[in-house]
Amino acid sequence: MALAQKVTVFEAFNRAKSGPKVAEDTWDNEIIPKTASRLKEKYGIKMDKKVMIPTDPVLVSNLFKAGMEMLVECGVYCMDTGRVIKYSEEEVWASVAAAPRSCVIGEGREARLLTARSYQDGRPPLIQGGPTGAPCSEAMFLPIHESYAKEAIVDTIVDGVMQTINGYDPTPNSPWEIAAVKQEAYQVRLAQARAGRTGMGL
Amino acid sequence: MIAADFAGGMRASDSHEVSQLNELKIDVGALTFTAHYVLAGDIIMCEQMPIYGGYAGGLEETTIVDVATHLNAFVMAQATWHLDGPIHVRWGITTAREPLAVAGHCARAIEANAPHLMLGNQYYTIAGPCTLMCLLETAAQAITDTASGREVLSGVAAAKGVATNKTTGLEARFMGEVAHAAAGMPLDKVNEILDSLVAKYEKSYKTFPEGKSFEECYDTVRVVPTDEYLEVYDEAVKVMRELGVSYKYW
Repeated sequence: MALAQKVTVFEAFNRAKSGPKVAEDTWDNEIIPKTASRLKEKYGIKMDKKVMIPTDPVLVSNLFKAGMEMLVECGVYCMDTGRVIKYSEEEVWASVAAAPRSCVIGEGREARLLTARSYQDGRPPLIQGGPTGAPCSEAMFLPIHESYAKEAIVDTIVDGVMQTINGYDPTPNSPWEIAAVKQEAYQVRLAQARAGRTGMGL
Repeated sequence: MIAADFAGGMRASDSHEVSQLNELKIDVGALTFTAHYVLAGDIIMCEQMPIYGGYAGGLEETTIVDVATHLNAFVMAQATWHLDGPIHVRWGITTAREPLAVAGHCARAIEANAPHLMLGNQYYTIAGPCTLMCLLETAAQAITDTASGREVLSGVAAAKGVATNKTTGLEARFMGEVAHAAAGMPLDKVNEILDSLVAKYEKSYKTFPEGKSFEECYDTVRVVPTDEYLEVYDEAVKVMRELGVSYKYW
């Protein structure tokens, strides 16, 4: 028996070219809803929406089993090739086992250690502050991002989207899109520097 | 986006985003720039927002798909951390009762079986900045995410993240302060608080306050919030204290 290997993005692409062919409509309207519904029944999963965080270990365990089975049974649909990227459960576990345990976001004095925490952990999560992809005008992009960097409780920034660049619409797959993306990165760095937080993550 | 990787722009120590598509879908473009992130040694943040009431269906089905999506981030995208964002199909927000339950259940399921995986969640409120409702929505999600073991809270895209300049630093500050206050709180107490907190705003989705723009919330030259917004902030702090949530510096 071969040892299970983690999947790489390169292997995922290879499978996107060679996996089983499925119509997108069948994926969206049959495979996904029917599989999820069947797994809900199989594992007897019932949630109470007055309880946001489960305390029943059986429910927690069954949700994981159902989610794992969903991924292994369905795979992932590649819209460009019309094919399904499939994995074995052993490959999923090998990939999960290989996932990073920690990383450092940002640099220098503003570096923050990201590491796993438990639901019972008294240690707070990292705070990533920012517009989270919401649109910002070209004129207000800098002060909006500075308003987040100025908050000491914010550990790292998640940026917004610049609505125009030099007054032009940054249409996807156009030169103006590239200019806008670069300008966003420049201006977030400037906002961090103006707040005295050079090195802060993005 | 690879274009952001340049001297003076994004560094390897920044979170490089790749998005999965609804539900359990991807495109070749995403795989292609993920290859760049992998080979450049970048931190990879794999994002996806499962839709409650969408292709998957109801509460349980959406949670099952969300668990599958989390796992896929670490398989297909070789993610450093996964950014969730269950969203309500009708209201377009992450702070409604159902998306909160999906996120809370999913995070617990992942942690119980793969505790080293690092997970985040993103924030989309229906109400805009400078409103009590926006801050209470933010608080509900911050408590849910913190008490279900998530590692990163990412927000806040107020006003559903679609209105221009309707986000400010104060919403993120409130998200952070509530998260710090909720860390380590027992789950029974958390669930009671959340049920009461969500009940305070969930009947207002049809009449939600649109809030104010950044220019109306801040002095844009000095980059400081207006007195009006600070008063709203104090009001939200008072509500949280009454519910039993208190940040050490409030």
